[in-house]
Amino acid sequence: MPTVVVPPPFRGPTLGVEKIEVPAGSARQCLEAVDAHHPGFRDLVVDAAGELHRFVKLFRNGEQLVGDALAEPIAEGDRLEVLSAIAGGSCAAPRARL
Amino acid sequence: MASGDKSIRVDMNSQTAKTEPFPERWQLLGGRALSARILLEEGDPAGDALGSGNVLVMAPGVLSGTSAPTSGRISMGGKSPLTGGIKEANAGGNPGQDLMKLGYRCIIVTGKPKDPSKRYGLEVDAQGVRVVAADAHKGLWNYASCEKLYEKYPKTASFISIGPAGEMQLTGASIACTDEKGRPARHAARGGLGAVMGSKGLKYVAVDAGKLAVRQPAARKEFFGYSKEYTKAYQAGPQMFKFGTSSVVPIANMLNTFPYRNRTEGQSPDVASLDGKRIVESFETRGGGMHNCMTGCIVQCSNVVHDKDGNYKTSALEFETLTLLGANCGIASWEDVADLDRLCDEIGLDTIETGAAIAIYMDSGGMEFGDAAGAKRILREIAEGTELGKAIGNGAVSIGKKRNHKRVPAVKGQAIPAWDPRPLKATGVTYATSPMGADHTAGLIINPGMPATEFARASQESQLVNAVCDSSGFCQFLQPSIEDIAKYYTLYLGRDVTREQVADIGWQCLQDEWEFNRRAGWTPDKDDLPECMKTEGVGPNHVMKFDVPKEIIDAARAQRFAPREELFKLKATG
Repeated sequence: MPTVVVPPPFRGPTLGVEKIEVPAGSARQCLEAVDAHHPGFRDLVVDAAGELHRFVKLFRNGEQLVGDALAEPIAEGDRLEVLSAIAGGSCAAPRARL
Repeated sequence: MASGDKSIRVDMNSQTAKTEPFPERWQLLGGRALSARILLEEGDPAGDALGSGNVLVMAPGVLSGTSAPTSGRISMGGKSPLTGGIKEANAGGNPGQDLMKLGYRCIIVTGKPKDPSKRYGLEVDAQGVRVVAADAHKGLWNYASCEKLYEKYPKTASFISIGPAGEMQLTGASIACTDEKGRPARHAARGGLGAVMGSKGLKYVAVDAGKLAVRQPAARKEFFGYSKEYTKAYQAGPQMFKFGTSSVVPIANMLNTFPYRNRTEGQSPDVASLDGKRIVESFETRGGGMHNCMTGCIVQCSNVVHDKDGNYKTSALEFETLTLLGANCGIASWEDVADLDRLCDEIGLDTIETGAAIAIYMDSGGMEFGDAAGAKRILREIAEGTELGKAIGNGAVSIGKKRNHKRVPAVKGQAIPAWDPRPLKATGVTYATSPMGADHTAGLIINPGMPATEFARASQESQLVNAVCDSSGFCQFLQPSIEDIAKYYTLYLGRDVTREQVADIGWQCLQDEWEFNRRAGWTPDKDDLPECMKTEGVGPNHVMKFDVPKEIIDAARAQRFAPREELFKLKATG
């Protein structure tokens, strides 16, 4: 199953859980699956119009999803990382290895 | 690393300055760690923060003045007249790297002039150091003072200065540093160190490194190679701060840490009009934009804000200012907050402390929430030195006492910043235990779901990492880790500096600061948050309160947690 990685600022709804396995599908479906078990999570990621908040970025296996990120497929074994434009410690921001 | 590094010693009893060799035992210390060590060895923890015994330290980071990206930060240190404990306030701008290019690792200012009406400046350049008369700058606001300084000093100079608030020795006073364009817009703001500088009669420091080159590392090729790759990796990443900290407003609001009306709510109805996106939108028609606050910065999180007519208004308009002088005062317009920001920079005031103080004044019925014109009038009263102005210029606790008001969100005398300890409880542990008092740059953890059992360790680790960052010269917004900094130190010195050694520097810095505070009379029972944070909640149904047990708070500093892999990879966050 794919894994959704929740950034520290968004772990209120997930009660501190960082990695959540969900069924494969589009990025949107994966995030909805997280919200089904952790209500409130979706509202932190997606705005009222159903679009990604402008301060949120999605990464699939370390590569940023651009364009219609929410429509991108997330397959078995993939890692979907949610990144928020907020400080907060931990290894929040993926960075190319030196 | 240059073996001929020096310290500058300024004796304001005699208004003289001299240089001396920088001690070998301090070689790996810079910025905050250096300031802490000097203050513990030479300061007067039990003395009057505005008296002649207090020591004012200005210390660039270890890597300041090199070609490492975003590495030019400078620490101001001393006993804080606001908290009564040790204080380090960190700023960007160019003075840090200019001092280091000249080979000066620190400025140590002691004593005070017999005549408190006199003003002095300190000149630092390739010809040496000297104290000069500066009565012509007396009472000048920071921008006017810097303009006047550029009539005397070359355009290559950078300045450290205080405004009228520092001259009046108000405990909310900041120390300004000029940015890359020579504007006094970068402030070492927290803790009232501007008052300490003012108590010593020192109005400005003029640093002119001319066209001196950057400091050369021992392993030059490897250092430059590492910097190039580090920069490339950063620029290939998401660059989350490219539009500044003001872009954090909407997400902070969602997390109930955008305090409204003296922290009676965690969300503001004015979030849209205070959103940093409005500032970015203004660039298109008014000009301004994002820029470096210091030479060599790759983050460029600082904004330059123009007014409706396209004239420069202020720089940088940050999240904390939009919160404390905006939402927390019920002021809805980012443009009004920009005016207030400019006034604070001019008069030389901490926007966090001043915003908190004005909100308390509003909450106590002194004026209406949302009265932006009234807030601007109050800032001018601070500059004029009226009774009300001084009470507010002396910060949140001062105005709270004057108004006999119960809701004073401060820890150890210092106002709580925008990041609220009620949804962010681990950060609250930092506020309670940090030697700095309520200071988010001392250790910020934005992890609302963290279990309480992890708070103490998370706070301690964050405090340690940020202490290391603030000693290195790196800006917290570059978010370097201990591992990154150890690599840089190794290449800079040309000898192995392990990540464990770097972590030890951070821990020792905290130990030095806690010891200073113990000698200043701080006791463990003070490691706590005010009642209002425990009894008044935010969020849905106001359930989020600071309810962390004292034993968890105390565990954050009782003993050092064994370093783990996560510590070395933890990114600095402020």
